[in-house]
Order: sequence, then structure tokens, then C-alpha cells
Amino acid sequence: MKTQTKIAVSLVIFNIVLLLLFGIGIYFFLNEYSYVDFYKRLETRAAIGAKYNLKIDSANAETFKKVREQHLERLEAEKEYIIRIRPDVSLEQQAINYEVPLSLLEAIMKEGKARHQEGSIFYGGIKLQHNNATYLSIVSANNRFVSHHLTFLRNILLWGLLFTVVVTVYLSIYFSKHFFDPIKEMIDKVKQISTENIHLRLKESENNNEISELASTFNDLLNRIETAFETQKNFISNASHELATPLTAIMGEADVALIKERKPEEYQKVLHNVLAQAERLNQITKSLLFLAQTGYKGKKIVFEVVRTDELIWEVKRLIDRLNPDNKILVDLSLLPEDPRKLKINGNKQLLHLALANILNNACKYSHNKPVAVHIGASQDQVLLFIKDQGIGIPESELPFIYDPFFRASNTRLFEGYGIGLPLARNIIRLHNGTLLVTSKASQGTSVQINFPLAKINK
Amino acid sequence: MSKTILIPIDFRVASLNTLKYALERSSGSPHRVVLIYAEYLEDSISELLFYRPESKIASKITPEFRNALEVLRNRFEYQITDLSIKLFHNRSRRGLRRFIENQQIDEIYIPQTYRLKMPKKAFDLVSIIRQTFIDYQEVDWPQDNTVASEKDHLEFLFNR
Repeated sequence: MKTQTKIAVSLVIFNIVLLLLFGIGIYFFLNEYSYVDFYKRLETRAAIGAKYNLKIDSANAETFKKVREQHLERLEAEKEYIIRIRPDVSLEQQAINYEVPLSLLEAIMKEGKARHQEGSIFYGGIKLQHNNATYLSIVSANNRFVSHHLTFLRNILLWGLLFTVVVTVYLSIYFSKHFFDPIKEMIDKVKQISTENIHLRLKESENNNEISELASTFNDLLNRIETAFETQKNFISNASHELATPLTAIMGEADVALIKERKPEEYQKVLHNVLAQAERLNQITKSLLFLAQTGYKGKKIVFEVVRTDELIWEVKRLIDRLNPDNKILVDLSLLPEDPRKLKINGNKQLLHLALANILNNACKYSHNKPVAVHIGASQDQVLLFIKDQGIGIPESELPFIYDPFFRASNTRLFEGYGIGLPLARNIIRLHNGTLLVTSKASQGTSVQINFPLAKINK
Repeated sequence: MSKTILIPIDFRVASLNTLKYALERSSGSPHRVVLIYAEYLEDSISELLFYRPESKIASKITPEFRNALEVLRNRFEYQITDLSIKLFHNRSRRGLRRFIENQQIDEIYIPQTYRLKMPKKAFDLVSIIRQTFIDYQEVDWPQDNTVASEKDHLEFLFNR
């Protein structure tokens, strides 16, 4: 069953049930009330009738009768009975004489007053003592209200119910269809989008309802998918390019060397070149493998408590060895006084690699201008800032810096293959940290790394 | 002996540099720090009825500012014995003098070249301090004018 029909059917059923309950409730309670009311009227009439028939209040008997006739409307088929109870006549006999039901008389004798219904005729009676004799005053009448008004009400309710059911059915079908129109539209649109035209987007309506939210969520998803597509395309073209360059060089060298007989020194030179290119190839594949390993979470990495300041010094020592001209300045002016605020949970080798990559980039792309490393700690994280005065990254290319093999347009003169930063980010993410790169072309880059503090007791 | 120092701020990370350099200059003695932010009082009666400095200050503290403050508290854990942020509404020299008396301020530090970036409803205390007192201390630090500083960033605390 479609959601549309489900909604329509459940709406209709719910409405009908509610209306039925409502109608039945009205009918039932009014019915009850009208009986009670009618009996009360009968009893009042019986009491007043007894007063003037038996002349109990002899001075006012006539007045009672007058009031009774003037002000109390005669009920339909109203009859009055005054029965004097005599020991010599049995109740059965009296009942037959007066044509009143025996059970009523018995009930009145027993309880003092009673009510009775026979078909549409209602009886109300009371017992009273007068001049040492027992009398029963009974009034019977047809309950016109029950027989007529209630039937009328029932009919109105039934017709009203029928009418509302028709309207509800129509409205629920209409609305369920209408409500799902935008969703249907959206489904049609999404069906149209495939890998060829992934740039297509859903129309986001102005008003801020669930449908437009769904559309914008879809669009966000499509944006991410498109970016992933682009990244993959870039990756393949870049990777094949990076891998092909050394291979071409190797093939070219070998080709040229094989054209004619050469001296051993020349062969040695060629072999050296081939070795260098092969080494480069090896390095690329190794770093690619590393990137893939850090990228997925399947592998368990051993974490230990690491002091970030020590880590920085170690990385600085390493870079000093590789690149003695570097000017890395470690700023300790905001180093927290409590050394526990510098400890993070991490894998030392991986962190080492990530920081070395970032610091190396900072030195490389700034022609060994000063690179400042700041360390600080807030209540729950260690903050590292690495600022260089290098060539920076053009603002339009900042979103792509984490794509493997991506290299900014102003890095043509520098060696590298664009794996360092994505690798560093993967590593920092593994440590639940964040990496934030802000940069201005030809002014410098600043990298902010936050690591959550290790929770150490004591 | 503990000293109480007063530093005007604008709830931006850069203005905390005054505190950083002031504490670096002092020789490790304990300090009670009062950061002061000057702002005109609202003139609507409902605002005044529900006036609570705590919530006003809390609404002004950005995550960057809080982080920067935490970094400084960690850095000067033993030098900062107490740190409080106060609002100041009285744009008069006498008012400022009375505030300083009441808070028992021993020293005032103000930035020399950094200009507090005050919004419209607030006013710059630095110039009033300059006019009112003669024994204030001035602090200066290298500022990166090239970086567009409309956006507040934790980075501004880490300079040198």
C-alpha cells in the first residue's frame, strides 16, 4: 500500500470512528436525560393531581387545579389515576379496574413512589396517606419527546455523519495526493540525476518546511558525491601522471643507452639515473600505501601518552638534519605551566610523520624563511600553530588541499607530489584532532592543529 | 604580595595580548586580574529591570575568546590567582576613579598601539585611562597588519 493511500484510509477511519463516538454519545446521553426529566414531570403532576383530587389542602385545592390547568401543558395521552387502596380489593383487581400495570402498583406500595414504562406510555406514581386511607396517585402519558424528538435527532445525526464521511473521504484523498506532489516531483528529479549529469540539483523552495529541507539535504549529498567523483577523477589522472613520469624517464634512459655500444662509465651514469627514478617511484608508492593505511580505520593503532612539546623538538631535530638551513622557531611563551596539559593520546610515529610533513612544507614553500611554531593549551585541548611566510595557497584552491596529489598552482618550482598534507590530515583525524589551514597567496600560511588532551588521572 | 591589575578588553582574542605581556613582564608574583569592558547602559526599562552582568558577559564571550583565556590561565597558572571580567558603564573620569578604588586596583595595563575594536554601544576605555591617570603601564606587541582582522581568531594570541 502506498503511503498516500495509507494516510487517506487512516484519516477516514479515524474520522468516522470519532464522529460515530460523538454521535452515539450525544444520542445516548440525551436519551437518558429525557427519560429522567419526563419521569420527574410525571411525578410532579401526580403530586399536584393528588392534592386537588383528594382535597388535601382543602383551602387551596381549587387554586391547585387552576394552576395545573393554566400553567402545566397537557402531555400527550395524559391520564390521571387516583386509586384508593382497600384491604378488601386486591392489587391485581385494582390494576385490572384502572388498567394500570400491576408491577407499578406493587412498586409504589413498596417504595412510596415508582416509575414504569410500557411501550411508549410512561407511568409515574406516588403513595400518600389521607384521612386514614392510603391513596396512589398515578399519571401516565406518552413521551412525545422520546418518540418524536429523539428520532428526529437520530436522523439528523445519521445524515450529518454520512455527509461528514463523504467530505472527509474526499478531503483526505485530495490532501494525501496534494501533500505528496512535491515528493513525487522530487523523486522524478532525482531519478533523472545520474553520473553523467551529477551537476543537476533539486529546486529548493523558499519556505522552510520539511520538503525544502529534504531537497537541501539531497543537494548537500549530491555536492559531496560530486566532490568525491571529482577527487577520484583527479586522483587517477594525477597518480597516473606521477607514476608515469619516472617510468618514462627510466624507459628513455634505457632506450638511449641501448642505441649503441657505450663505455662502462656511461652505463654507470645511466644506471644511476634509473636507480634514482626507481627510488622516486618506490617513495611514491610507499607514501600512497601509507595514505591508504591511515585512511581506513580497520587497522588497530597503538596509542600511548605523548608530550606534544617533546614531539615538536624531535621533529625539529629531524628537520635540522635533513635541511640544515631551516629557521624553525619554537615559541614557548604560552606553554602551560602544568606539563599534564601537554599530554595527548597518540601514536608517536604517526604524529611524528604528520608534524614533519607540515613543518617540512612550511620550510620548503617559504625558501627557509623563519617558521614559527607556537604551543599552547586550553582546558581540553593542545593547540599548535605553525606559521610561515612562504608562498601561501591561492584562496580558490584552499578547498582542494587535502586531495591526494593535488598541488597548488603556485608550487610548480617546488618538488613534491601532494601526498604530505592529506596524510597529515588523516593522521590528525585518527587522533580526533582538527587541522585548520588558513592562507593568503604570497603572504604565508598558518596551520592550526588541535589535539584533545589525554585524560590522565592525578 | 598579591597585586590587582586592570586591563581593558574588547572580547577579542587580540586584546588579551595586553594581559599576556603584562604578566610576562612581572616577575612571577601572584596577580588578581580584572578585565574590564566598557559599554553604555541600555536605556530601556525592561532591559534595566532584567539587567544581569553575568549573562551579558556570557553572551559576549566567543569560543575563541574563551579558548584564549584558558590558554593564558594555563600559561600563568601560578601568577593568576583570580580572574574576573567586569562591565563598566560610566563614561566619566570620576566613575573610573571610583571603580579603581572600589576594586582596589594596583596597576593598569593598556595596549600601546592596538586599538580596541568597540562596537557602537560600547566605548574605548583606553583613551579615558590615558586622560585620567598618569601611572598606567603601556604594553606593545608585534601586530600583523597584513592579515585582515575582521574575523576573530585564536591565532592572534600566538604572535612573536
